[in-house]
Amino acid sequence: MRDVIVYIEQIGGQPRRVSLEIATKAKELATALGGSVHALVLGKNASGAAEQLKAYPVDTIHVSEDPDIDAFAVDPAVDYLEAAAKAVGPALILVPFTMIGRDLGSRLAARLDAGQCADVTDVTVAGDKVACISPKLGGTVLTTCAFKGDYGIAAIRPNSFKAVPSAGAGAVVTLEKPAGKTYKIAVDEEVVEAAGELGVEEASTVISGGRGVGGPDPFKTILKDLADSLGGSVGASRAAVDAGWIGHGHQVGQTGKTISPNLYIAVGISGAIQHKVGMRTASTIVAINKDGTVPIGEFADLLVVGDLFSIVPELTKQIRAVHS
Amino acid sequence: MKIIVTVKLVPDTTAEKRIDPSTKRLVRAGVETVLNPFDEYAIEAALQLKEKAGGDSTVTIVTLAPESGKEVVRKALAMGADDAIMISDAAAEGSDVWGTAYALAQAIKKAGFDIVIAGTQSTDSTTGELPGALAEFLGVPGVTFVRKLEVDGTALKAERETDAGYTKVSAQLPALVSVTKSINEPRYPSLKGIMGAKKKTIAVQSLADAGVDKPIGAAGARTELLELTTPPARGKGVIFEASDAVAGATKIIEFLRERKLV
Repeated sequence: MRDVIVYIEQIGGQPRRVSLEIATKAKELATALGGSVHALVLGKNASGAAEQLKAYPVDTIHVSEDPDIDAFAVDPAVDYLEAAAKAVGPALILVPFTMIGRDLGSRLAARLDAGQCADVTDVTVAGDKVACISPKLGGTVLTTCAFKGDYGIAAIRPNSFKAVPSAGAGAVVTLEKPAGKTYKIAVDEEVVEAAGELGVEEASTVISGGRGVGGPDPFKTILKDLADSLGGSVGASRAAVDAGWIGHGHQVGQTGKTISPNLYIAVGISGAIQHKVGMRTASTIVAINKDGTVPIGEFADLLVVGDLFSIVPELTKQIRAVHS
Repeated sequence: MKIIVTVKLVPDTTAEKRIDPSTKRLVRAGVETVLNPFDEYAIEAALQLKEKAGGDSTVTIVTLAPESGKEVVRKALAMGADDAIMISDAAAEGSDVWGTAYALAQAIKKAGFDIVIAGTQSTDSTTGELPGALAEFLGVPGVTFVRKLEVDGTALKAERETDAGYTKVSAQLPALVSVTKSINEPRYPSLKGIMGAKKKTIAVQSLADAGVDKPIGAAGARTELLELTTPPARGKGVIFEASDAVAGATKIIEFLRERKLV
């Protein structure tokens, strides 16, 4: 029997969607392992996030609103996770493969002397053996890895599982503050630039612009409008980011983010290998480009050849018409 | 100030990689080994710190790689780093992040440091898990995803990228910092730098030399590879020449409808 521990990333009392995806998957894994699901919700407004989490199949929700969690970067959360892991006993620990999750997972693996699989897109259980599947080398191969020890940490790529509400026991317990810790990375200011927006790694629809969009404005106008009409987020190729048209946080590709949305619309992007490795695992890929011979035509499900500056606004108009 | 930069040698990022199904290994024929592009930002950040701190500041490159990668490490020296430590040992083959971080940490502790700078991730595994594990093994603050860095004496101030924006943080040295590509524009090695790098020291160490006292490599790995498969390739889809905006948009809508995406 083995329990599953899930780290719930939350912003302002809202669990991030990837956390709910992982909580849903955790129940399936815990059932197969004969254990239960423990969720950890930390920081300011954690109680609010815990309330929302009750709609998902978790058995115990461990909560702490210790001010140190927000006053200091990374370390307090690692300590709480370590304490919870030791209290629960050898377990499978799931963290989101987000910026916070990368830090937590790698720190915890070193601290618990445990194995870690990162950028995991599926987890299976056979008997008491857990296996993690991760795309490597830009999605050209899939690796299946197992943990050797008692603990194992899997960092799960957003959009790998569906978040399905189904209330569990949801017993809320307050975590005790780990004793004897001093924290060294002081948070002086937290700046939220994209409040309420899903990052490209988490959005189920991503509209990306490349060199072909010609400047910064389309990212704020036609691409943004199309993204809004589909409930998606705006991404970009390296060329657009390097030109300073949009921030690095939006970059999809080898030196940006690797994403698996349901729908990816590439606008004015040629689809060089460095971009392809960041989005080739999208379920559906649509491209709009003035050139019919661009590399993206080799792997997009649909390439529409034409003028993006007129097609994109027309597409937004038609989508809005369908939705209204 | 003693500055350490960790680097990784990776297969050329512009080549399409494939796996030989019979050996389950990367086909290296025709694929050059290069310095992980993310690490060039770390080297640049280190050189800028050294230039600002002056005095007897040094930049030392530390890597875990086969000795055959020596000439790739020399590129980091050509950019301006002072010397390098290469942990090269057959027993390190098959190391996972845990083993790699442990070995690097032991070598770095032995060399001594005020600050360790790492790239955010490598272009081959792209997991970005090394900096966190390394900070943990070094027992120092791990300030990750840094886009702006200032060091004044032993005080460090940084801006960390987050998924929602950024945070301003401060810490004391010794510390580890991982940098994103927003932090700087890496310099190209000058001809003088390239010539000078030939005389710089690359100290090749065995695991024992580096002070690695636990088994790493495949034997010490905390994970094991069960299977390696190739996902089905994405087939070529439909290419539609749009006569005008309405035709193009209508085609996309029809397509999205078929797939129940609108």
